[in-house]
Amino acid sequence: MSFYLVQILNALSFSMLLMLTGLGLSVVLSLLNFVNLTHGSSFLLGAYVSIWWLGSGAPWWLAFPVAFLASALAGLVLERFPFRQFYTRTHLMQVLLTYGLSVIFADLMRWGFGAQIASPELPEILSGVIFVFDMPFPIYRLFIIVFGAVLALALWFVIDRTIWGAVVRACVTDRRFVETLGLDTKRIFTIVVAVAAGLGGLSGALGAGVLSAYPGLDEEQLILALIVVVVGGLGTFRGTVLSALLLGFTMTFTKVWIPEMSNVAALAIMALMLVIAPQGLVARKVRQV
Amino acid sequence: MTMKDAITRRRLIAAGGATAFAGMLGAPLIAKAANGSLRIGMVTSLSGPFAGLGEAMRDGIVMALEEYGNEIAGRRIELIVEDDQAKPDEGVRKFRKLIGQDNVDIVSGVISSAVALAVRDVVTEAEALTFISAGSANALARDAASPLVFRPTKTNWMLGHTAGLWAAEKISKTGCLTIGADYAAGREYIGDFVETYTAQGGAVGQQLWAPLGTTDFGPLLTAIASVQPEFIYSFFAGSDAVRFLRQMKDYRLHEKVKVLGGGALFDQEDVIATVKDAALGGLNTCNQSPTAPASQAFSAAYLARRGVLPGEMGTAGYVTAQVIKAALERVGGDVAAKDQLKENLLALPVDTVFGPMSFDPRNNQAILDIYVNEITESADGPVNQVIHTYQGVQDPGPTA
Repeated sequence: MSFYLVQILNALSFSMLLMLTGLGLSVVLSLLNFVNLTHGSSFLLGAYVSIWWLGSGAPWWLAFPVAFLASALAGLVLERFPFRQFYTRTHLMQVLLTYGLSVIFADLMRWGFGAQIASPELPEILSGVIFVFDMPFPIYRLFIIVFGAVLALALWFVIDRTIWGAVVRACVTDRRFVETLGLDTKRIFTIVVAVAAGLGGLSGALGAGVLSAYPGLDEEQLILALIVVVVGGLGTFRGTVLSALLLGFTMTFTKVWIPEMSNVAALAIMALMLVIAPQGLVARKVRQV
Repeated sequence: MTMKDAITRRRLIAAGGATAFAGMLGAPLIAKAANGSLRIGMVTSLSGPFAGLGEAMRDGIVMALEEYGNEIAGRRIELIVEDDQAKPDEGVRKFRKLIGQDNVDIVSGVISSAVALAVRDVVTEAEALTFISAGSANALARDAASPLVFRPTKTNWMLGHTAGLWAAEKISKTGCLTIGADYAAGREYIGDFVETYTAQGGAVGQQLWAPLGTTDFGPLLTAIASVQPEFIYSFFAGSDAVRFLRQMKDYRLHEKVKVLGGGALFDQEDVIATVKDAALGGLNTCNQSPTAPASQAFSAAYLARRGVLPGEMGTAGYVTAQVIKAALERVGGDVAAKDQLKENLLALPVDTVFGPMSFDPRNNQAILDIYVNEITESADGPVNQVIHTYQGVQDPGPTA
């Protein structure tokens, strides 16, 4: 009994990591129709920044906002040049551009942070375990679950229930119409890209406590993020959350029963989804005219 | 303004003249040096998953060559290092470049076994003197052995086998669980361990496999926590090893379950320097140890140079240079006499920082001392402390 309770907690914490990784990518892809393959770089940058921060002796909880800001700033600069010039180009051009950039960033980070694997020094308060009956479960993973849930709720609230969210959603539906209302959509896009990159950095900061940081993590995370987005479907917040949960639980429980197959399971789900529901778990309602 | 311009122009002419003059003098000098010098090519992984390991290996060989004053057996040494990105096709391309374009006299390096297997035919066809520094798939010392390919490193069997002996004799013959990375190397380590361990009367319980690059070991660790084995034998390398050990600690299993592993699981530079006290109490069998008597002076020099005690790859780079030096000195630097070089190298053991190394004449595979290391606290942080040495371990070779 306690065995399965802990496995459910394991699945939840892994799902949260997947969701955080996928959110930023999904936001940019669905709002701007822009394929941003530098998302993995944002993740790794956030991971390195938080590890550096936690090692510096400054208040530990600031590591997460600092990682968010660092990646958001990088996103802001990138949006000005060269992303903006590519919004109207084809997806292939966007992929070539952002993939090239991600290779450059991987080299820059290897040069700046070194090729060695780095792990954060977690504060005392996050490094313990709780016991579910007699089975141990790390507090840090509980922290990820809670943090992820709060963040997801906050994002949902902002996008779905506030005027800012309404403006962003309106931009997606009809950008020109929003401009006739006197709103500067360029600026809105800049903010969205920066926030999405910041989310990538924040998930890197959170994930580093479980995954560590090393050259190559950027690519691994990018692939996971792409799978989450493909399974979840574009343009819906609920889709990303549901797909992260589906993938997280499937991969965790295949690890429990047939561990060799856990990666295969994730890819099989993606292939299956592409065949039976190419729009993803939650399809955006598109009004055909 | 005009004055300044004039000076600049005059300087320019002077500089141009000096360059031309230096060129006239310099060119023949350089050409002469190239005739007498000897080129060593090294292919290692400077990007991709093994980037950290590759940098350590490169530093190891550079360090040794600097100690020799870049001269071996009276000949100047030129080192050319290439990156294989840990990809077989890229490795093949780089070996072809070194042999065909750069005309190197000796090729060396290689971390990934897949690369080592892929370049085997390239170096064999070219009849190039080859020293594989680290690629350790068993096949390299068996079916894929080649007359001019020397292997101054271990095979996976040598580590899995000795771990099996140690576990059966010193740890327990029951309550064993294995967990390994689900790819060729992991299967070899665990398979060879299980074979020896069961032959010694041990009984293996559950066997778990995790895909290469597993990010979350939580579900597997929860399974281990519910089985409560007496000890586990494990093989992971690089970031997988770091995550596995860190998460073992996250789940508080490191205090309850003894971990015995392949050397890479507790690599001094690659893993322990990162996971620190999460590695304490771990055991591993490895052909390298920073505390081995043969490694003492080297370990101190490496620590001074890189700020960290050497792991297997840094040491392997250094050992590669030591073996090449011995081979060249035994033929007076005449690298063209390949058969003589081989005969002389196989005839006598070489003193390396791994320990004494002799070569098996059947497959040019090194016969090595294998250390049982325990991770203990030291002044430099957690360190691989030698607690036992299996002397002269020899891979079964072509007969296996």
